[in-house]
Amino acid sequence: MSTQAPILATEKLGVRYGSFLALSDVTLSIKSNTIHSVIGPNGAGKTTLFHALTGRVRASSGRITLNGQDITHVSDDKRVPLGIARSFQVTSLFQNLSVRENLRLAAQGRTPLQALAPWRGVDPRSQALAVADEVMERLELTHVSDRAAGELSHGQQRRLEVGMAVAAKPRLILLDEPTSGMGIDDVEAMKALIRDLGRDHTVLFIEHNMGIVMNISDTVTVMRAGRVLVEGPPAVVRDDPEVRRAYLGNMITGDLA
Amino acid sequence: MNRASLHFLLAALVAIALPLFMRSGTLASEVLIFAMAAAACNLLLGYTGLLSFGQGIFFGLGSYAAGLTLLHTSLPLGVALVLAAIAGAVVATGVGWLSIRRQGVYFVMLTLAFSQFFYFLAYTFKDITGGDNGLLNIPRPAIGPFSLGDSWAYYAFVAMLFLIVFAALQRVASSTFGCTLLAVRDNEERARAIGFPVRNFKITAFAISGAVTGLAGALHALLIGVAPLSNIEYHMSESILIMTIIGGSGNLFASVLGAGFYVIVSDLLSSIWPRWLLLLGGLLIVVALFMQKGLWGLIERLVVALPMGRRSAIKSPIESPIQPESEGRGI
Repeated sequence: MSTQAPILATEKLGVRYGSFLALSDVTLSIKSNTIHSVIGPNGAGKTTLFHALTGRVRASSGRITLNGQDITHVSDDKRVPLGIARSFQVTSLFQNLSVRENLRLAAQGRTPLQALAPWRGVDPRSQALAVADEVMERLELTHVSDRAAGELSHGQQRRLEVGMAVAAKPRLILLDEPTSGMGIDDVEAMKALIRDLGRDHTVLFIEHNMGIVMNISDTVTVMRAGRVLVEGPPAVVRDDPEVRRAYLGNMITGDLA
Repeated sequence: MNRASLHFLLAALVAIALPLFMRSGTLASEVLIFAMAAAACNLLLGYTGLLSFGQGIFFGLGSYAAGLTLLHTSLPLGVALVLAAIAGAVVATGVGWLSIRRQGVYFVMLTLAFSQFFYFLAYTFKDITGGDNGLLNIPRPAIGPFSLGDSWAYYAFVAMLFLIVFAALQRVASSTFGCTLLAVRDNEERARAIGFPVRNFKITAFAISGAVTGLAGALHALLIGVAPLSNIEYHMSESILIMTIIGGSGNLFASVLGAGFYVIVSDLLSSIWPRWLLLLGGLLIVVALFMQKGLWGLIERLVVALPMGRRSAIKSPIESPIQPESEGRGI
């Protein structure tokens, strides 16, 4: 695995909000078909890193490359067809649209220009709908397919949030705290799902639940104050004294797989 | 029967019923002309979540384009109408392209500014537009063997175009494009995150809305034989918006209701009381406070309340009324 070329790499990536340096000199290398987690205390710049990778926020300095192609200046919507999709920390769905329609849209987003033709009807046999059904099946949302996304339970909404990223069939999938606010049962299901996603995607995820992080990650990146503190396999990261200090000692307790 | 064909049937019924219940062919034509303009406005307001004060620009330009074509050339009526639609679409594309660079209040202010800008442009170039007097004596040529001189003959022509335009707008609304507009309205940020170039979708919506509004403006100028300055005034934008909101922004047929209500009630009230706009203002307050789904929502509620209508509660494609544009959540 380690000999593979990285699917995504950043080189001295920096993001500045006004005079505040949210991210500085972040150099990352995400290997293909691995599960890579990003941890760190609140305000460490994890979500900003995601924003920069997906193009929602422009990098102030540095470079981002996807499969060797420089995408630093590619706009957010154009990065989706290149194979990057994400979920949000704060659930961001089409609240008034049905679950199926949410996922159909997410699948359509890979070929957005097809949807720009005002005369083209929604084809019931379309590929996007097939993908939507497939994702619903995978996320156990089929029984609520016609409900408006806003009516779902929190756990279901979080699953759909991840589903929105999955439906784009990305090569690299970015999940921003997929388990936030979830109950224990849901967390276990999400953990299984992320592990499962790791088989046919590269997964980069932000997570506070150390049980999940230590258990399913191939690589862990620890961030603090906008910088990378340590990076390595879970076992190494867990025992790193710097990390222990950053987390005030005892927060990292998850089991190793 | 699905919802789209039901709504089309209702629109056709309106077009047939107007001559039966109204004495003036001019007023009946006006209802359908504004129904087109309001439905076009609804494509932006109800489907895309864009509150545009620019509709009067497209309406007025349509009037001028058709008027100028018929006054200065010998081109047939059909060409004049097509030119008006093109003028509406082109200017709407430009106005949209610039306005959607900002969101929420600033977007609205930009459309308002454009509205003022085009009004003064029309006012200033008196040689072309006739300024305050408007473009006078616009002819209404026959189409082949059919003379449109009689007001009901003209109504039949307008009604035909109305149904074609209504069906076309329905097609747009139910296409993948229309579905994406609903998504943009619902959560623009997410729409962009899943890969949609949101700007292009908004601009296309503007172009379609502008084309239909331009056509409506042209038909209006032909109806009264004048392209008045008031057709491009800010007040026109306001009227079209009010029709759309009173009807309800949930579906296209609601706009037909809104336009019909506005035109007919204005006509009735204005003959009784010169300050009738005051009443209309009151009604708008009631709609904003208590019936955000407009007249259509009211009818929906009545249908559900009826014992026999309970089973077939008509659901609008857009569940909630106009929402404020999603406030930029963080960066």
